[in-house]
Amino acid sequence: MRRTLRARYGRDITGWLIMLPTLILFAFFVWEPLLESIRLSLYEAQGVRLVRFTGLQNYLNIFRHPDFWPAAVNTVKYCLWSLAIGFLVPIFLAIVINEATRGKGLMRVAVYLPNMVPGLATVFLWRFLFKSGDTGFLNILVNTFGIPMQSWLASAKLVIPVIVVTMTWKSAGATALIYLAGLQGINPELYEAAIIDGAGVWGRLRSITIPNLYNLARTLLILQVIAVFQILYEPMVMTNGGPNNASISLMQLVYRFAFETNYDYAKASALSVMISIALIALTLIYNRVNRPKDL
Amino acid sequence: MIRFFRKDDGVIRTYDLRRPGMRAIYIAVYAVMLIVVAACVLPIIWVTLSGFKDQKEFLRGVKSAADNKYYVQFLPLSFALDGYAESWNVMKFYKYYLNSFWSVLGSTVCALLFNGLMAYVISRLRPRGHKIVFALVMGSLMLPATTSMVPLFLNISRVGLQGSFVPLWLAFGANAFYVILFKNFYDTMPESLLEAARLDGASDLALFFRIVLPLSMPINMVVIIYAINAAWSDFLLPYLVLNNSPLETVMVRLFSYRTSDRIKDIDIIRAIVFSITPPILLFIIFQRQITQNVVSAGIKG
Repeated sequence: MRRTLRARYGRDITGWLIMLPTLILFAFFVWEPLLESIRLSLYEAQGVRLVRFTGLQNYLNIFRHPDFWPAAVNTVKYCLWSLAIGFLVPIFLAIVINEATRGKGLMRVAVYLPNMVPGLATVFLWRFLFKSGDTGFLNILVNTFGIPMQSWLASAKLVIPVIVVTMTWKSAGATALIYLAGLQGINPELYEAAIIDGAGVWGRLRSITIPNLYNLARTLLILQVIAVFQILYEPMVMTNGGPNNASISLMQLVYRFAFETNYDYAKASALSVMISIALIALTLIYNRVNRPKDL
Repeated sequence: MIRFFRKDDGVIRTYDLRRPGMRAIYIAVYAVMLIVVAACVLPIIWVTLSGFKDQKEFLRGVKSAADNKYYVQFLPLSFALDGYAESWNVMKFYKYYLNSFWSVLGSTVCALLFNGLMAYVISRLRPRGHKIVFALVMGSLMLPATTSMVPLFLNISRVGLQGSFVPLWLAFGANAFYVILFKNFYDTMPESLLEAARLDGASDLALFFRIVLPLSMPINMVVIIYAINAAWSDFLLPYLVLNNSPLETVMVRLFSYRTSDRIKDIDIIRAIVFSITPPILLFIIFQRQITQNVVSAGIKG
């Protein structure tokens, strides 16, 4: 009896034993915190101690919090600006690099280089570049082209696009290389056939290149929105949410609730859960639109 | 010039470039690309050059003899390394470098070992129920990780691991993205290799260390490079765990400068240079592996 059990389940047991340590790590670092944040959000807490079950009270309080609506509106603005500034740039870069006859390698390396700069160093660096006043690097630069000097990060109107430019600088090159791989997968005979059919350069670009990138672009679009929706340290370091809440994001508000003002972990969790729900909704919409063709 | 206009692939071909209009557009596109390349590289050069200046030269510029006004210049007055050396010593960056080194080393080992083992089980041993585990791993890839920061931090402080590298190391052992990279690679490994070792009486665990891991060098390199870079750049969890402890890493230190008034601007500039030097060196060495694998790495959700 014992031997047959071993024969039947022996390999199963070894398999589970070998991955047990990793399972524990996943439980501790990934799965349990996700569930815990839901539980925590339904309680009133003092520090790490849960005082009492309050149902959805934390959620209602968040809606009434004076910083919530600015943060929610800004987060949507970040996403829209990042689509406006950051979505087409990598596609353009990929097409251009693919068309280059000389210096292709150099271009690939150069556009990817910013991606190697740690995110935190990037925002510190750009905070200096965007310094207002006549000693700021970008102010000197735009001034030589006759554009008046700006106050950049201190301007409520400019602050979000400026932060998005910083993010685009860091990530556009890496995304461009993904598109580039997509371009290199296009069958060259398609172009030759199009030439024989008399299609001009624009015609080829419109009817072959762009349609072939379409699926990839759709995937990367939603991934970009999901990533930007969680924007946190860029405004935290560059402006601390200012001027006057003009750049505060939802994730930054979570951080404030939890670690900066009154250590209200329950309220922070409630907001986290709300962000997660928004992102899951986005993912579901994406999956609905994007049938399993890719991935 | 002739080689420049010879082109047998992509959208534009040699035959298009015979037309002067197309030629002009092609050159214009090259010019735009030149600006893009400059925009990518210039900020990094700017910060490195600025680090050579002193505080006054950085903030106000250099007094011009002609009109007695101050002008900010791109190049520093001198390329002496004294300023860098001073900041390095005053800010105790050797200490943070050493801390970052230990943090990166442990994280990379954990990333390789734990994710590799799980991928090996899911890909090769396939015990009953492995599909559920894989679904859970894939699911966590879809869910936003940053939102569980608060309960994760509470977990860590509950088990008393604050002020220690251990939670940071182990966090790299639970990375869904690395598990999938490993699994995809192991899936392509021929079963005959494993079967031969099994006949020699090797256990399933020994098989992983003796056969699977050594035969997976390409994917190991990818994960190692990504883990090094991610561990070096990570700061949010490290900040919460290590803040005000003797184990602060380079990024934790840099993060704490965001609100500090006591630190001079020029010192922050030099701190930025210190913090970007290792990843850029890594890039220069492994440039090929990094840019070629960006495709698999980029689509991670």
